[in-house]
Amino acid sequence: DPNEIVIKFSHVTNADKHPKGIAATLFAERVNTEMNGKACMEVFPNSTLYTDEKVLEAMLQGDVQFAAPSLSLFEPITKEFRLFDLPFMFKDIAAVDAFQASGTGQEMLQSMTRRGVLGMGFWHNGMKQFSANKPLIMPEDAKGLKFRVQPSDVLVAQMNALGATAQPMAFAEVYGALQTGVVDGQENSWSNIYGQKFFEVQDGITETNHGIIDYMVVTNVDWWEALDADVRDQLKTILDEVTAERNAAVLEVDNQARQAILDAGGKIVELTPEQRAAWVDAMKPVWAQFEEEVGADNIAAAQTFNQ
Amino acid sequence: MDVFILFSLVIGLMLVGVPIAVSLGLSSIVFMLALSDTSLAAVAASLYNGMAGHYTLLAIPFFVLASTFMSTGGVARRIIRLSIAMVGHLPGGLAIAGVFACMMFAALSGSSPATVVAIGSIVIAGMRQVGYTRDFAAGVIAVAGTLGILIPPSIVMVVYASATDVSVGRMFLAGVIPGLMAGFMLMLTIYVIAVVKNLPRGEWLGWGEVWAAGRDAGFGLMLIVIILGGIYGGVFTPTEAAAVAAVYSFLIACFVYRDMGPLARPEGQRNLTLLDKPIALITAFFHRDVRNTLLESGKLTITLMFIIANALILKHVLTDEQIPQQIAGAMLDAGFGPVMFLVIVNVILLIGGQFMEPSGLIVIVAPLVFPIAMELGIDPIHLGIIMVVNMEIGMITPPVGLNLFVTSGVAGMPMMRVVYAALPFLAVLFVFLIIITYVPIISTWLPTLMMGPEIQIR
Amino acid sequence: MSGAGRYEPRSMLGKVVHEFEETAIAVMLGAMTLLTFVNVIMRYVFNSMVIWGLEVVLILFAWLVLFGIPYAFKVTANLGVDVILNIVSPRTRYALSLLAAILCIVYALLIAKGAWDYWAPFAGLQQTTGHWFPTGFDPDTRDRAFFETDQVPMLEWLRWLEGAINQGETYSKLPRMIPYLILPISAALMLLRIVQVTIRIARGDQTSIIVSHEVEDALDEIAKNRRGEA
Ligand code: NA
Ligand code: NA
Repeated sequence: DPNEIVIKFSHVTNADKHPKGIAATLFAERVNTEMNGKACMEVFPNSTLYTDEKVLEAMLQGDVQFAAPSLSLFEPITKEFRLFDLPFMFKDIAAVDAFQASGTGQEMLQSMTRRGVLGMGFWHNGMKQFSANKPLIMPEDAKGLKFRVQPSDVLVAQMNALGATAQPMAFAEVYGALQTGVVDGQENSWSNIYGQKFFEVQDGITETNHGIIDYMVVTNVDWWEALDADVRDQLKTILDEVTAERNAAVLEVDNQARQAILDAGGKIVELTPEQRAAWVDAMKPVWAQFEEEVGADNIAAAQTFNQ
Repeated sequence: MDVFILFSLVIGLMLVGVPIAVSLGLSSIVFMLALSDTSLAAVAASLYNGMAGHYTLLAIPFFVLASTFMSTGGVARRIIRLSIAMVGHLPGGLAIAGVFACMMFAALSGSSPATVVAIGSIVIAGMRQVGYTRDFAAGVIAVAGTLGILIPPSIVMVVYASATDVSVGRMFLAGVIPGLMAGFMLMLTIYVIAVVKNLPRGEWLGWGEVWAAGRDAGFGLMLIVIILGGIYGGVFTPTEAAAVAAVYSFLIACFVYRDMGPLARPEGQRNLTLLDKPIALITAFFHRDVRNTLLESGKLTITLMFIIANALILKHVLTDEQIPQQIAGAMLDAGFGPVMFLVIVNVILLIGGQFMEPSGLIVIVAPLVFPIAMELGIDPIHLGIIMVVNMEIGMITPPVGLNLFVTSGVAGMPMMRVVYAALPFLAVLFVFLIIITYVPIISTWLPTLMMGPEIQIR
Repeated sequence: MSGAGRYEPRSMLGKVVHEFEETAIAVMLGAMTLLTFVNVIMRYVFNSMVIWGLEVVLILFAWLVLFGIPYAFKVTANLGVDVILNIVSPRTRYALSLLAAILCIVYALLIAKGAWDYWAPFAGLQQTTGHWFPTGFDPDTRDRAFFETDQVPMLEWLRWLEGAINQGETYSKLPRMIPYLILPISAALMLLRIVQVTIRIARGDQTSIIVSHEVEDALDEIAKNRRGEA
């Protein structure tokens, strides 16, 4: 339909199994049925159009309209976002959700508008766990091991705090690298560990819940503001409903992935409260390193949701 | 329809004599600007990210460099000596040794033309001296040289892995058995021709010569162990393996064989050793030979990546216009099963291979056929090997056949005569393609054995 | 090994530029290889990691190729299909080659606009307006100078950029405008080299913009081996 606004949504996961892919597909389906004649959304999954590293540039250029990169990807723009990578900042996804819904969280959505990036909402994936080629029970077990992490200063510092080495690596190479032992371990959510079959090539996954994997749905400020108000409202309403629906389901998806790993013969190490406390003690000092960039008030605000 | 115009434009520009890279890029840009709002800035970004955004493709310059050090540094000569020592006494011995040498060099080099240059430039002349016709010699080497991309390491496999997100390590393993099989099929064909036509055979020089030649070639052949051992032993990733291979080849060429670099002396004189000239450890890095090897590899990398980066622009435009989905939809609606689908893939690649350089073609075709293949339950590794074998055939068929260009240069004969000379062996490769296409286990058995069952990265 | 290939610079300046281009290509490829190799050794032997290594190698890769493309036009190293060119009359061949060269100029012009539009916002400059051709500068261009690379450390001697383009804000990593700078440079050089080739073709000093350079390499190789045998 030539009169429809074409909206391109580019992301990097599959379209039907990954929490982000499912949400994007649902978003597009609803836009295409409910806004038929006004707008048409095309989803480009699996990095077919842009990788996470490049999609923000393309969005600023106006070549795609929507993207949902992982929160670490915003660190080159605003150091505040390092908050979400700091270890043990949130005790669970509910705390993340409550923080994001709070004033501070909502301000973060708006914090990059002067750069041209408008946050529309947060999508969850899940809490991060460590996996390695040996069972990790105490933080000392990670000493001397090589971990694949996303390229973020916080995550590098986090690994160094454990006496481990951080290794940036293309996502497609991780499975092979874990299998052959180029790297010893990695950190990821249950969904990703299951989806990428990392559990097959690791000797254990330690249920640390030490961090989060979360996405921000973003759009281009200039494009958004040029839309008709009714189109904008309808898009925003649909997105909010999709966000609420999928975020509510994420815990279940997470648990299913965890169970599926167990069913497939993967080993999960559950920590006693004392053991987990040792991990917290080892990694929490990283906060001090980034307190200035992230903002002490932001950290304090996040902590109120952990009670 | 739009796609048809796009591809016609690409081919039209190529036939006029526009460089392949520009034909791809210009057609895509015109198509994109005419049909969508996408900006020219996206094209520039795509050009930059062709390199900076594709970690896997980084293996290309490294493998090219390793291969250049190997051929200028005297490894090829030593491999040929070993081949002759081992199989030269059979009927058709020197021709069989030529194929065998191509197989060994293929295991060191990621490219087919490089294999033809390294082995062909010595073996073709040698075969003529002992009484083979120039045509027979050229035909054998042109075809055997294509094994360069089937026997790992392989630039074309790297490109396929990058385009589809399958593991490079798995692709390399998958090429081993098909590569050996194709090599032995070619050798067997030569053997039969040789017995029928009573072609010349060499003398058996004894196990002493095999041992001596093997020891001499050993440093070069060690690279196979280093590459595969390093990858599967967890020392480095396949991309890093390529860089290690390049550094190793440099060390071998400059300090062990000393046929190039500061320790090399003109033919006839004994090359120096490090003891004669220890400063060479430092000067080697700045030596003119080394600089020229880097430059030659750089040039090849630039022209290859210029094509690939423009093919990525074309791919970007196809994706942007959602053409892969349309084609997939049309093919699945037509009710094609896996068998029919693979026939179509073969035909598309064989036709495309008439015009295109293999890596560029893979960049364009892989995203078009990969989703359908997954839908039909075809193993991605198997599909990759099918594509590689098709590319091999494309390299020895006109009008664009890199191996034909190179062989006509090496053998000093017109390209069309090389085409005819290669025909009998091309027929063997066709039979091989059919076997590979319909017997997936040849490709998938070794990677599954070594790395467990295939997983879908997406 | 042919080193210079077929192209021979004539003027003194031409020789200096040629030497610089070829050395730069060799140095960039050598640096990429060594950096990757060193990182493997660091990880496997010393269990540590140069965190920016990978990103710098990828940037060098882009620089190698983008810097090399104009060079490849200059020395006529780009691969193409010459079946038609080889069967037509010399006059038709001349016309087709000239047409091909002019199409390459069109390509370079489009790339040049794209390269500028991509790079300019990262340098705090204005993009051009227009879909196909630049029709002016866009004063509403949104500044992207804040965008940093992922891991490459900021170079101290580039700190002046903070005041110049980043509204005085500190860069903690190298801004993206530096690696992307190669795009406009490459596009400008490409345009220059293609125009030069087109003039050479028009004058009849050169027959086409493409060559099956593999043949030349191969012939050089054979020549070298023959020398070796003699
Ligand atoms: Na090979
Ligand atoms: Na061909």
